[in-house]
Amino acid sequence: MTDMGATMTTLIRNELFKLRTTRAPWLLLAAGQVLIVGGVSGLILRRDDPRDPTLAAGAVAHVGLVSLFALVLGILAMAGEYRYRTITDTYLATPRRGRVLAAKMTVYTLTGLGFGVVGSVVAIAAAAAGLAIRGASLDLSDVDFWRTLAGGILWNGAFAAIGVGVGALVRNLAGAVAAALAWLAVVEGILSQLLGDLARWLPFSAGTALGRLPGKDGLPQWGGGVVLLAYAAVFSAAALMTTLRRDVV
Amino acid sequence: MADVAVRALTKHFGRVRAVHDLTFDVPAGQITGFLGPNGAGKTTTLRMIVGLVAPTSGEVLINGQRYDQLPRPRRVVGAVLEATGFHPGRRARDHLRILAQVTGVPVSRVDEVMAQVGLTADADRRVRGYSLGMRQRLSLAAALLGDPQVLVLDEPGNGLDPSGMAWLRGMLRELAAQGRGVVISSHVLAEVAQTVDRVVILNGGRLRFAGALPELTRAGESLEAAFLRLTAPAAGADPVRVVQPVLGPGGEPDVHGRPNKPHSAGLS
Repeated sequence: MTDMGATMTTLIRNELFKLRTTRAPWLLLAAGQVLIVGGVSGLILRRDDPRDPTLAAGAVAHVGLVSLFALVLGILAMAGEYRYRTITDTYLATPRRGRVLAAKMTVYTLTGLGFGVVGSVVAIAAAAAGLAIRGASLDLSDVDFWRTLAGGILWNGAFAAIGVGVGALVRNLAGAVAAALAWLAVVEGILSQLLGDLARWLPFSAGTALGRLPGKDGLPQWGGGVVLLAYAAVFSAAALMTTLRRDVV
Repeated sequence: MADVAVRALTKHFGRVRAVHDLTFDVPAGQITGFLGPNGAGKTTTLRMIVGLVAPTSGEVLINGQRYDQLPRPRRVVGAVLEATGFHPGRRARDHLRILAQVTGVPVSRVDEVMAQVGLTADADRRVRGYSLGMRQRLSLAAALLGDPQVLVLDEPGNGLDPSGMAWLRGMLRELAAQGRGVVISSHVLAEVAQTVDRVVILNGGRLRFAGALPELTRAGESLEAAFLRLTAPAAGADPVRVVQPVLGPGGEPDVHGRPNKPHSAGLS
């Protein structure tokens, strides 16, 4: 503790404390695992050739897709405080709002990565089980398999950070979640048709490149990572500016 | 013990002048009632005291410092500003533990304040199941966590039953008797008349009176009658204001005691 109020360490511990005293994070984590198990095993069980060397890597790409839940978690972290009016007590304790935002960014980026790690473990288990059922086995020496998992984990971390930024900008919880889901489900797809080649720079496309989603031609994996990082940085900067300026009425 | 000094405080929301050139004190050891009709600017002013709303001009000093300059703000000022500011799925004790951590007080304070507001038996329930009165008590517990010298309370009596109101009155008096400064907004004038030492009355974002309660009611007028006279919709043309000038914090006639042209009616 310093004379200038709670340290960043305290604020980070405080955000972790908030995170684990509500049910929503656990429900989102569980929902992600259901999606991963369904997606991984569905792909493996229905594929004609279970010995296709690209099968396992393609199946575990579902880890990246659950970044949708990491995004919602990040939105909840910030917009949820406005929704339930706990933001008042948060800022009363820490009038330097930039520190609150920094602590949330840190904690939720790590939590998003954690979502990805848990999802990876589940995906590996589901892939091994599915392949065994088909009489094949999981090739753990496959570099693409691990690169896909690593990309999926990073995608989750980046989307959680972007979610915190979106939540800070929009503040209306239902509106922020609806806007984010509409973007992923509809808006980016329509924009992609309008933009043509430029579409690969959009956030979900960058995520699919990072998470190596099969059947997508876009940026290289590292390029997807850099673009998502840039989005996270832009959302953080915009969130910081509005958070410092806006009145909490 | 700390005094709160509100100085020339002004807040515009776009073209709306919510608070205009407000100056008053919240002295230590006294309960100050903060009164005004809906839309008078009470909540905006209380939020400016603790830095949630940035003033357009003017400032509020607590111990000579702005709220955001206080190293441990919740240990100087405790505030109740939300009717219900809790995550419904979180347990009451967890809510207070979270706040204790950033307030900079040991977690043992949580049990102390829960006992102080009479919530010990319900401490481990999720706030979803709390009545409005219990939520008010929990808000007050949160404000008391840091053992603050100043309490800023925006309608803390909402939802309390008669025994709850009596309990609140007793607690506020005790806190003031310990030398703390308390400012409390309320619409329940009969309750305020029993509780406060001083009153600050706003109308349309402007100060109409600041001073000791007996000063306001010395002509035999009730608090309610004085309040209605000072906050009447046509108060701008009210001749009474000329004969009985509004008193500033130092007892001198306030600038708003002058005969006034009707001011913008959009706020009340």
